[in-house]
Amino acid sequence: MTTNVPVIDVHAEAHGSGSTHYLNCSKGFWSWAGTLDHKRIGLMYLIGTGVAFLAGGLFALLVRLHLWQPDGLLFKDNVQYNQIFTLHGAFMVFLFVIPAIPGSLGNMVLPLMLGAKDVALPRLNLLSFYLWVTGAVLAALAIILGGFDTGWTFYAPYSLYTDQAVVTIGLAVFVLGFSSIFTGLNFIVTVHKLRAPGLTWFRMPLFVWALYATSILQVLATPVLGITVLLVAFERLYHIGIFDPRLGGDPVLFEHFFWFYSHPAVYIMVLPAFGIISELVSVHSRKPLFGYKLIAFSSLAIAIISFLVWGHHMFTSGQSTYAMFAFSFLTFFVAIPTAIKEFSWVATVWKGSIALNAPMLYTLAFLIIFAIGGLTGVILGSLNVDIHLHDTYFVVAHFHYVMMGSIALAFFAGLHHWWPKMFGVMYDETMAKIACGLIFVGFNATFIPQFIMGSRGMPRRYATYVPEYQPYHMASTIGAMILGVGVAVMVFCFVASLFQRKKAMQNQWGGVTLDWLTPTPPPLENFAEAPTVTNEVYDYSTLDYKAMQTPVR
Amino acid sequence: MSAHHDDHSHGALQMGHHHVSSSAMFFNVLVALLILTVITVGASRIDFGSANMLIAMAIASIKASLVIAIFMHVKWDTAINRIVFLSSFLFLSLLFIFTLADHATRRWDHEMHTTRTPVDKQWVYKQHEHAGDH
Amino acid sequence: MSHDGHHSVVIPAPGPEFVPHTVAHHFDTPVQEFQAAKLGFWLFLATEILLFGGLFAAYFYFHESYPETFRLGGRQLDWKLGALNTTVLLISSWTMAMGVRSAQTSQKQKTLMYCALTVLGAAIFMVVKFFEYKAKNEHGLIVFSELFHPYDGATGSIPWFKDYHGVMAGVPHGHLFFAIYLTMTAIHGLHVVIGAGLILWVMKGAAKGRFHAGYFLPVDLVGLYWHLVDLIWIFLFPLLYLVP
Repeated sequence: MTTNVPVIDVHAEAHGSGSTHYLNCSKGFWSWAGTLDHKRIGLMYLIGTGVAFLAGGLFALLVRLHLWQPDGLLFKDNVQYNQIFTLHGAFMVFLFVIPAIPGSLGNMVLPLMLGAKDVALPRLNLLSFYLWVTGAVLAALAIILGGFDTGWTFYAPYSLYTDQAVVTIGLAVFVLGFSSIFTGLNFIVTVHKLRAPGLTWFRMPLFVWALYATSILQVLATPVLGITVLLVAFERLYHIGIFDPRLGGDPVLFEHFFWFYSHPAVYIMVLPAFGIISELVSVHSRKPLFGYKLIAFSSLAIAIISFLVWGHHMFTSGQSTYAMFAFSFLTFFVAIPTAIKEFSWVATVWKGSIALNAPMLYTLAFLIIFAIGGLTGVILGSLNVDIHLHDTYFVVAHFHYVMMGSIALAFFAGLHHWWPKMFGVMYDETMAKIACGLIFVGFNATFIPQFIMGSRGMPRRYATYVPEYQPYHMASTIGAMILGVGVAVMVFCFVASLFQRKKAMQNQWGGVTLDWLTPTPPPLENFAEAPTVTNEVYDYSTLDYKAMQTPVR
Repeated sequence: MSAHHDDHSHGALQMGHHHVSSSAMFFNVLVALLILTVITVGASRIDFGSANMLIAMAIASIKASLVIAIFMHVKWDTAINRIVFLSSFLFLSLLFIFTLADHATRRWDHEMHTTRTPVDKQWVYKQHEHAGDH
Repeated sequence: MSHDGHHSVVIPAPGPEFVPHTVAHHFDTPVQEFQAAKLGFWLFLATEILLFGGLFAAYFYFHESYPETFRLGGRQLDWKLGALNTTVLLISSWTMAMGVRSAQTSQKQKTLMYCALTVLGAAIFMVVKFFEYKAKNEHGLIVFSELFHPYDGATGSIPWFKDYHGVMAGVPHGHLFFAIYLTMTAIHGLHVVIGAGLILWVMKGAAKGRFHAGYFLPVDLVGLYWHLVDLIWIFLFPLLYLVP
């Protein structure tokens, strides 16, 4: 057991000059398809989840168009309508919202923020991406095989009886689940083992804390979804009977299994968004975060509490009254750490040196929308109110305020924030701001009418409706079109920036976390020299203003 | 105590200090596991009433603990690895507790509507009358 | 430690029959590499626990709903074969632990021998399992040839559950026990097969001398996986064969 082992140089070639970075260090299809570099994998995730988002958004616009008039405008029958809204839900949840932030921005930024050369398990990272691709292909295959009309929730017993491609999409969800698990697993190991010297737990940027809490959920909750969709597939293949009431089974058991995952999954989706917002409020207000430790611990608290509240999705399922009391009571506790975050963000902005650029505008939009999304969640968590509001558009509006209005907007915010870091180019700020305005207005115009009609009894997932609701539906559809235009402008703005090649600054926004201290775009192994952290996090007195005025080479 | 540290300052170029258990200890554990298997079968022959499940699971848990602690080396592993593996059982117990509690208390719901108080009974009668109207 | 990207650390081989190990470039030390991989694997094992946990939850749920069905169903399984398989898996767990120990102490031949014995245990387990399934097939409790036939809701008969001898006639939903038995043991059996495949893969590396006191990570991880397979069976045996 000798300790004086010779160190052998296996990398013969010298490190590249400053102008080589991860984008241009190697070329060709396989240099991307077989890459182990976290930044390239992140970029591929960004493209993949971005396409899934646009597809899911297109399905949403079709649904909204159909609902323009009470007897439906577009689809030939109810089955087709069911298929399209199921596609919207399944694409958005499984292919976009869950993987998007950890997969793209998380992969891109987490090792940079930690001062590491890569994630701890780069091959597993690439496997995660290919599992995502496999899941996406299976989902597409399910569409070719005739589609699926169960809603993204696959509720038994309908999912057991319908004649559509439930097994295929179930398999897709299983595979996507493992993609998500492996990403989470990788991030946990990376945070534990690859932090730069001096980067203590309480010097980690809050985006890292948020991804860490997310990863715990991904690892501990997702397997239960895996076994649940497998069991649904087995039910369809050989009739186990555990979810099928005809065979002595209990559909409520399915709902328990499903929501044991899917409630924590809500936080798998939203915690990374919280992380982005925590970064951005600080950088664009140039002020240390108010309540850093509170925000860090509240992420963990949310992660834990999220495992105790899943029954609030089942208040009208036939669950026992006593279980409902417990679940409703526990649900209110989620509001505490969530409110701590919201207040801390607002307190961070207060008296800060606020830069009203595109990422900050998205962040402010998030703060407003998330307050509504969160508070309507508390309303729905109260048992008696939920009996009335269950399965209405009020619920639809609530979770879109969280999923689209909060998570997608935070994703856009993060994308605008790290775009110059990723590509070394700046987008047209004016156009980006216009897109942000359109998205904010369009989003609220879409979903405020849904709150109102939901509270008046409009049930969700219906292809037709009574004429009294038409004005609300028309307003909502117009809003959705504005939202669609906003997203289109944003995408155009990003794509155009890649062609215009207007150079970004080395440190575009004046961030002081490690991701902004490496050259832009980052070199292959991130840091020319190993970083050692000596400052507290978000210490803007260390900001190097020169890097903010030096364009990318 | 853990021999590993969560830092980069470890000078050794080996994989670290690893506990190498003695062959005798592994063999003793195997013997204990086999004896516990006999006890499992024996205990299943005796009817302890409602405690049957509890006893069977208790013996299985002792066996599992031996495998985890000794064969899987958890006894000598790092704190974080121990926390990770044991927390999976903790979170699994949440699934068990809430799901089975719902199942068990549904009976009470039924009892509440049929037997508990005259007021409840009246409410049930009214429901029945109502149902009869249609 | 230096944190630059130019050098990779190499662990030397302890003897001529072994080969050195090069630490992956993004790690600074072998300890970091070992601990990262191990933490990752423990996290993976945690996901396995929760995946099987769903099946166990379903077991308890329906054990509570239909205790008679489960008691009677359990009696249709041969507890002697179950006990035999339990013994086989426990012994194989021991041989695996010894295999890891042999790798840790740079005993190449012993590593190979103990791994081979573990694979033998896996094979015996699967053969016994095959005969158990065969018996169920003959009694019509799980008719494998009709497993995937469609269920006719009108007659209410499940195609693969024929119960030729009417052993489950007096209890509600007799098929439920066997469905759960089949699902749990089939998924467990799949893990046995995967585990055996992984051990064979490790043996290939061990034969080349890749594992020794300085580097035995793959043997260690595959060993953990194998113990998990054993761990799950420790609970399956009393629950299925000796239904409490």
